[in-house]
Amino acid sequence: MSKAIKPAPVVNQWAQPFWDAANEGRLIIQKCQDCGEHIFYPRIACIHCASDNLDWVECSGRGAVYTYTVVEANAPSAFTEDMPYVIAVVKLEEGVRMLSNIVGCDPYAVECDMPVTVTFEKLNDEYTLPKFTPLGE
Amino acid sequence: MSKVRGNVAIVGIGEVPTGRFADKGAISFALESARMAIRDSGLNKDDIDCVLPTGALFSGPFNTELVTGRIVEELGLKNVRKNTQVFSGGSSSSNALQIAGALIVAGLAKNVLFVHADKLGTGVTAQGGIDLFSTAGISSEWEVPFGQHYSSVAALATTRYKYETGCRDEHFAAVCVSNRKWAELNPNAFFRKPLTIEEVMSSKMLSTPLRAKQSNMLFDGGGAFVMTSAEQARDLPNKPVYILGESGLVTHFVYSQEPDLTRFGWARAGREAFEQAGLAPSDIDVAEIYDSYPIYQLLTFEELGFCERGEAGEMFLRGDTWPGGKIPMTTDGGMLGKGHIGAGGSVSLLLEAARQLMGKAGERQVPEAKFAVETATGGTYFDAQVTILGTEIP
Repeated sequence: MSKAIKPAPVVNQWAQPFWDAANEGRLIIQKCQDCGEHIFYPRIACIHCASDNLDWVECSGRGAVYTYTVVEANAPSAFTEDMPYVIAVVKLEEGVRMLSNIVGCDPYAVECDMPVTVTFEKLNDEYTLPKFTPLGE
Repeated sequence: MSKVRGNVAIVGIGEVPTGRFADKGAISFALESARMAIRDSGLNKDDIDCVLPTGALFSGPFNTELVTGRIVEELGLKNVRKNTQVFSGGSSSSNALQIAGALIVAGLAKNVLFVHADKLGTGVTAQGGIDLFSTAGISSEWEVPFGQHYSSVAALATTRYKYETGCRDEHFAAVCVSNRKWAELNPNAFFRKPLTIEEVMSSKMLSTPLRAKQSNMLFDGGGAFVMTSAEQARDLPNKPVYILGESGLVTHFVYSQEPDLTRFGWARAGREAFEQAGLAPSDIDVAEIYDSYPIYQLLTFEELGFCERGEAGEMFLRGDTWPGGKIPMTTDGGMLGKGHIGAGGSVSLLLEAARQLMGKAGERQVPEAKFAVETATGGTYFDAQVTILGTEIP
């Protein structure tokens, strides 16, 4: 059976560096050079102090599961073959939150506040998605 | 202080049943509701000078017809100066109410007609509905590629709320049971058979811990209201339903950016709306709290200050929110009992609040209801809108 074509991210131009880095297996986020706050998802200006003096910084890739769900039924068409799959909001060490999937483990072993680390899954020739997997002991 | 407070009133309401009506065009839901609302208000059709249709999701072309004046022409409304859409998804009713009130108080309109109609039950397939709602208000860059959709959106909030409060699955099931008890009494509701906790808890798992019977279903339907000045309202047949307090807070677009998925913006919006009204939760006779999924109804009720955090679940279980209970809640049956009709979910709640206050709620009538709170939220709960209505001005 052929795999469903997954929706690719519809990329805003100012977020392109994020997706380019993901293709190289790196997780980068913005940091405001004026107020020092980290920002995700990428913005055109700082959401804290409105400065446009933003820079990209390398992320540790480590974080914890803020919340999660195991999708067992009624998924969007392109994802029904993946069920059961885990959608989670991950809070990174840098303080920002990101929606992603938890992979590489029993979906039913995921818990709130569980430590996770980034892993990269190639979506197609153009895009790689940052996903998360439980952090080893 | 808001100039809308106590100076405008809902004077007429109209609503068609929520259900599956494959042989009817969506326009008929709009026109029937609008005619009912105008007739109910006691005004003449040509007294309407402003029409605010809200958005329909099932069809772009149908929505464009609403935007470009079809309702005005179909009903032969001769004195309409403005026909313009007010749309914020599920919170459209609250936003339209406030905008209509502002237009009247500013002297820019005298009698405003608000109309909603959609056909999500028979105008799209079941999978089409899931797919439609997996992109509507869900970020195409940061969420869609990960398989996010509305069941998972609700499940993510439920998981964290359970983790932080110790609330159990049966508490969420109890919300569905409470809403169903009201739906059983509502001739316009789709689900009219009794529902038990056990039935909810044994229904199919969708996205853990959310089960099928904790998920709304999409239907066809429509509703409308007429608003005018408080002064004119006192000369019309219905008991005027005054806007007493209104506030809101927009807290996110991308779901992961919501600062607190167990609270959202309800506490602040509620505090401001109650303050404006000069009332407290203990003054409220009927609470029309937006559901769509049990988690939102439960946490909104707590955040508005009706009880302590983590206590609402027991109130639903005990029957405090049921017909005859201490604080009758979501008395039209909500989207879980009456059915989800897009932006109309909260239109229905707003109409029900007005109906209760007018004393026209039939078997569901809360005795001597004077003050009501209504809440609404759109998209992935991107905003928290709180409205306080009453038949007296405190």
